[in-house]
Amino acid sequence: MSQSETGGGADGLVAGAGAGADGLVAGIPRQAAPPKVDQPVDQPVAGLVAGPVALARPVLGAVPVVRLADRIEAAVAGGFHTFTGRVLGPYQAATVRIGFALVFTLQLLREWPHRRVLYGDRSPWGLDLARQLLAGNHAFTVLVWSDSRWWFEAVYLFAVLAGILLMLGWRTRATSVLFMVAVLSLQNRSVLIGDGGDNIVHLMAIYLVFTRCGAVWSLDARRRGRGPGRVGHDVAGVLLWAALGGLLAAAQLAGRVDWLGATWPYLGWGVVFWTLWAVAGAWYAVNRWWPQSEPRAVLDALATMLHNCALLVIAVQVVLVYSTAGWYKVQGSRWQDGTALYYPMHLDYFAPWPWLSGVLGTSAVLVFLLSYGTVLVQVAFPFTLMNRRLKNVLLAVMMLEHLGIAVVLGLPIFSLAMITADAVFLPTAALVWFAGRVRRTARWGRAPMLRLLR
Amino acid sequence: MTDGDGAGTGDGTGGGGGSAPRVWSRPALAVLVAGAVGLVTCTAGFLGALFLHVAPPNTLYQRYQKQVDGVVYPEFEQNWKLFAPDPLQQNVTVDARVRTAAGTGGWIGLTAQDIAAIRGNPIPSHLDQNLLRRAWDFYDSTHSNQDDSATAPNGGLAQEYLKRIALQRIGRAAGGDPVTAIQFRSGTREVAPPPWSRESWSTQIQYRELGWWPVTDQDYRGLR
Repeated sequence: MSQSETGGGADGLVAGAGAGADGLVAGIPRQAAPPKVDQPVDQPVAGLVAGPVALARPVLGAVPVVRLADRIEAAVAGGFHTFTGRVLGPYQAATVRIGFALVFTLQLLREWPHRRVLYGDRSPWGLDLARQLLAGNHAFTVLVWSDSRWWFEAVYLFAVLAGILLMLGWRTRATSVLFMVAVLSLQNRSVLIGDGGDNIVHLMAIYLVFTRCGAVWSLDARRRGRGPGRVGHDVAGVLLWAALGGLLAAAQLAGRVDWLGATWPYLGWGVVFWTLWAVAGAWYAVNRWWPQSEPRAVLDALATMLHNCALLVIAVQVVLVYSTAGWYKVQGSRWQDGTALYYPMHLDYFAPWPWLSGVLGTSAVLVFLLSYGTVLVQVAFPFTLMNRRLKNVLLAVMMLEHLGIAVVLGLPIFSLAMITADAVFLPTAALVWFAGRVRRTARWGRAPMLRLLR
Repeated sequence: MTDGDGAGTGDGTGGGGGSAPRVWSRPALAVLVAGAVGLVTCTAGFLGALFLHVAPPNTLYQRYQKQVDGVVYPEFEQNWKLFAPDPLQQNVTVDARVRTAAGTGGWIGLTAQDIAAIRGNPIPSHLDQNLLRRAWDFYDSTHSNQDDSATAPNGGLAQEYLKRIALQRIGRAAGGDPVTAIQFRSGTREVAPPPWSRESWSTQIQYRELGWWPVTDQDYRGLR
């Protein structure tokens, strides 16, 4: 890694604000091995192992030859310290939160004119058909609880609201659960109208519940920044918690939510929701009445561990997407002969601009390079996570390709979802820079808007 | 309580960055170690199940099929064989025609309506891009293409769904007479080889006609 990168301000940012998912994935396998401090520390792991390295350094400095057992012990202790004590990738988690909430909200607004045909009372996939399928696959949706048009309209509006609130990071812990309920409800009710974009939103909505995705770039973070005194008297939070407990109890009493799941591991949604609700209550209680106590610290550490595991799952999920897409392509004869990308561009369902598809499809060299490049990038991506610079180049290439897919194949929302998924692996410095750009643009756009309003 | 909790508040309880590790009491340490072991085990198990779900059929999946399917279905199902192993190389169209007391009407291009709505649209709707396309895939994958008999338990659902999609677009009446029956056909046309390709194949459209299905008022329930 270049000296300018390690020595510059970016390093401090990355190391101080959390390593990011790139550190997470590249770093965890290295945790088991003793940190090599006699060599310049690799950039990808710099942020993650800042703790362990700092712990190990004095020991190594004092005794040049350290027993292997001691080094392993130091590494394990350091790893445990990081795992329990550091929220890894807070900016990456916030990016996933904002990105997928935006994708889902845009999708809902785009489909607003068609909402009743796609998800509601006018759907050809009527509730009777949906119920027959759901009886077999046991997927969760609140939309089958009532046939009323107004129940559907209320759930749809609630979904838009959950998306907006999650984007803003208002009571993120509760909102992320509501967002998950909204996503699962709409998608599982009409499972046959989604595509890959809906699939990744579905998965991420569940994973997000287990992350501390509101640590930065959220209304919650801003409220916490105003001072610790306010956290203790969170009237809105208490009311929200009580209301959600009441709704959940009503659903449970009406027999809509089960304790037991239908198949292995027999985990019902009732257990999931009540556990989340109870933990939220316990967290409030320890913060309110025993802020300095050890139980609060234990809960904090458990939440951090859960976050770190969930962020790992998110990262691995993205890797699985690209690995699967890449490895199965290797076997395809059209990918081998370098004409594969010519065909999707000539499918009527994915050709909103036939002239554009026609122009791109005239060059054998271009189609060959794009086809081979796609497979190469998708197959190589997981392995480039070991090298920060290479990984960032590949990320840029993949994001550009998805921008192309958005326009050429007419899949803008799918592409935005995939770009958001890619962003999990962006370095913190890049995310912070992008956020700054967005903020500046917003400020620049606000002045004329205010003038217009006046 | 319902917010993003205290991550990053820097109150030192959990230790942030390079701060000294907290000294835990024995019970607290026991809870943390148990929590850590449990979480790591669950995470590893979950990721293992996801991997076996997306991997090609293999012996490990066969051995743990119940557990893997239990974890993955219904909420973590995924298919990332995007354009793989080979992209689709044919345009499939679905047409329908209806019978009334006055006789049989002409073929109505349902897919053609979708394509017309997608052309020149920067943000195509799921209504145009996915609804009929995936409904036909569903029907096709649950029925024999020899005699149109259902080959999967959900075959009946697929047929009813396809029928209702067409009826929603066509309406209750054709030429003033109520619709009594409907028939579908699918047309398959290979995408022409690229101009530089030495391969060549027919791009004639191949039709497959399904039988006539009776239409009743019940089929229109909920449709406008």
